[in-house]
Amino acid sequence: MSNINGKVYAMNVITPMKPWKTWVLRGLFFLLWNIKPLQKDLINLSFIEFARWVVLPRGRFPFLGHGQVKEELKYDYLLFFSNFNGTWNQYIDAFSAVLSRGLNMIWRWSEKFPGSVPVTPFKEYIARVQFDTDYYFTAYPYATANDLKSAHIVQSALDGLNQRAQVCSPEQFAEAYLKFVIQVQAHLGETGEAPVVS
Amino acid sequence: MPNKNGSVYGLTVLSPIIDDEAAVPSHDLQIREYLAELPTGEESPFALAPGTHLARLVVMDDVIYVGAPSCEEHLHSKYLVFESNCDGELDHYLAGLAANVPQHLDAIWGHCVGYPGASNPQAFIDYMKACQIETTFYFAAINDKSVPQTLAALQTQRAVADFIASHQGMEPAQLQREFTEFMAVLKTAPLPRAGGMAPRRDIKTGGRNE
Repeated sequence: MSNINGKVYAMNVITPMKPWKTWVLRGLFFLLWNIKPLQKDLINLSFIEFARWVVLPRGRFPFLGHGQVKEELKYDYLLFFSNFNGTWNQYIDAFSAVLSRGLNMIWRWSEKFPGSVPVTPFKEYIARVQFDTDYYFTAYPYATANDLKSAHIVQSALDGLNQRAQVCSPEQFAEAYLKFVIQVQAHLGETGEAPVVS
Repeated sequence: MPNKNGSVYGLTVLSPIIDDEAAVPSHDLQIREYLAELPTGEESPFALAPGTHLARLVVMDDVIYVGAPSCEEHLHSKYLVFESNCDGELDHYLAGLAANVPQHLDAIWGHCVGYPGASNPQAFIDYMKACQIETTFYFAAINDKSVPQTLAALQTQRAVADFIASHQGMEPAQLQREFTEFMAVLKTAPLPRAGGMAPRRDIKTGGRNE
């Protein structure tokens, strides 16, 4: 079992839903996908690298024959996979504090969901419906989502400076270089191992 | 609905695991044993094959009962869940896995129902697609950069910090000359390997983060 690789935590959650409710949820996800301002809070939670919700209808579990018994289920299921930086507690706390309305909208269709506020029953619920990761890979284990965003900002600014360096005088370059340093100075934090959390 | 967000693909695969009472240990346990020994760094199969940002493999034993008054129900099969966040088009990504790490794929998915083996890439792609579940909502913090672009950017970020620190107060002509040399070195520097980028800082860690 390894939910953690470097600075990233892999969370897996599965919750049952009455089948008619999944259509409501699909509608809500459709709106969330197409009306980008609704994603603002999710984007602002800048410690999430990737996350996905997957509605799995009870009749759509992969069936391949070869002696496999077809599933006979009453519920559809909502799968949630997240890749985030920080600890489990920090993540659930932040979700509850910042995204409570959005989370309620998504999970209220799941059986026995207690609501994301207050946080204690919410944590108990997530702990109950979470299952552990057996193998977890990240291409950049020592970087957080913010490190990645910063690295791309530095790369983009450097490419721009490099283009100018080819055509300008030393004095013009010095001025452009100073502007470059000011532009990237907040994005030069070094990556490394995560601090110990007890 | 979206399996893709920008140029990143969110792949979700559920492969039914062979249920054979005669198998000792059981197939799901054999998968878990293999995964427990599989490297997660630069030697990971997902680092050796191109295009994976983050990926996980999970043996899902059953669905979870959340308590009364909901109904308790169980799956007939256990499933191997493969969740990957990868670059580009799905066929190309899966073909890359089959071409670069077929032995790992066979060792893992060989315990799953109907797995055809990775020696025939098209059969492998068809199998994975047969087990694929459509993503309903997919969020990617960065959705327009590939794995090599991101690894290069992280390398650049480090190098730029060092360059700035060591070139403070320098004369403009020398600064421009050394910047040009720096860029030439940076452009020819080998790309860091996926799964690596080991830290330089000497900080203490207990390795536990829960």
